[in-house]
Amino acid sequence: MIARVLIVAMLLVVAGCAAPTAVITASGSQVELRQMQTREYDTLDKRGALRAVVATLQDLGFVIDKADFELATISATKLQDYEIRMTVTVREREGNRLAVRASARFNEEPITDPAAYQDFFTTLDKAMFLTLHEVD
Amino acid sequence: MNKGRILAVALFAALLVGCETLPEDAFRLSESALELREIQSRTYEGVTDIEILSASSGVLQDLGYTIDEVEKELGVLSASKRASAKDDVEIASKIALDVLDCLVTFMIGCEDDAYQSSKDVQDIRMTLVVLPDLSEERTYRVRLTMQRLVWMKSGDLYEQETINDAAVYQAFFDKLSKSVFLEKEGV
Repeated sequence: MIARVLIVAMLLVVAGCAAPTAVITASGSQVELRQMQTREYDTLDKRGALRAVVATLQDLGFVIDKADFELATISATKLQDYEIRMTVTVREREGNRLAVRASARFNEEPITDPAAYQDFFTTLDKAMFLTLHEVD
Repeated sequence: MNKGRILAVALFAALLVGCETLPEDAFRLSESALELREIQSRTYEGVTDIEILSASSGVLQDLGYTIDEVEKELGVLSASKRASAKDDVEIASKIALDVLDCLVTFMIGCEDDAYQSSKDVQDIRMTLVVLPDLSEERTYRVRLTMQRLVWMKSGDLYEQETINDAAVYQAFFDKLSKSVFLEKEGV
């Protein structure tokens, strides 16, 4: 019984630590990862969207490492007791929409927790709303 | 069974500590986010974004920074510099350990440099973003965010943090205001 409990505990911990690698290499999960990292917005204002991304990153305490308007790519780093590195890209999608994709790394591991991206996009939504409505 | 359960929980806890997890609030605005935004922002009137970016580059050069990235389409400018961290308060316990280490190694290399845990240099990184005020012509809002990494003499990282000290931002904006004025006057 004790052994069984220990094995379950070990497996849980190992799964918790190793999950990022598993998620990326397992078949079919690439789509899942992209979905959780992407949000679409009803706008074609690429400049406004990128400015909202920069503002959001600054609000969250990031320093911008790279910014490219033409390629619509922003890379940034947050330093606390931990380090988060993040890349955000903006792409045009069919139906006059923009897709914003964010991918982030926490210390040495890629972030694959949907809740983390959900939080990021919730923060970005507010900045997008302000930026895009000021433009109108 | 009880012992086994305790053992399992202990093992679980020990392994979890080894596996650092993402803090829940990493991508959420902190309670002080609005206040910080004010501390880190200033509005400039009667200027162009190019004038502000040029004035900023000037101030950063004055302060010994190197420009790492500029994207004028988005009004983004990032810069960094390495500076001494020696005037910071050193951590007594770490120094004490070094002293002990010195004694153990028979006083070899026990001069100042022996205090491997003392802070040596810090890398300061910053981003400055210039955004147009869409309701006012020729009015721009500048926001600055700064971080630093402090290194020990041993080369290990002592700490990394976001700089939230209002005085640091105030000092920068004082210099930037002067620089913007000089830029407009064509000095």
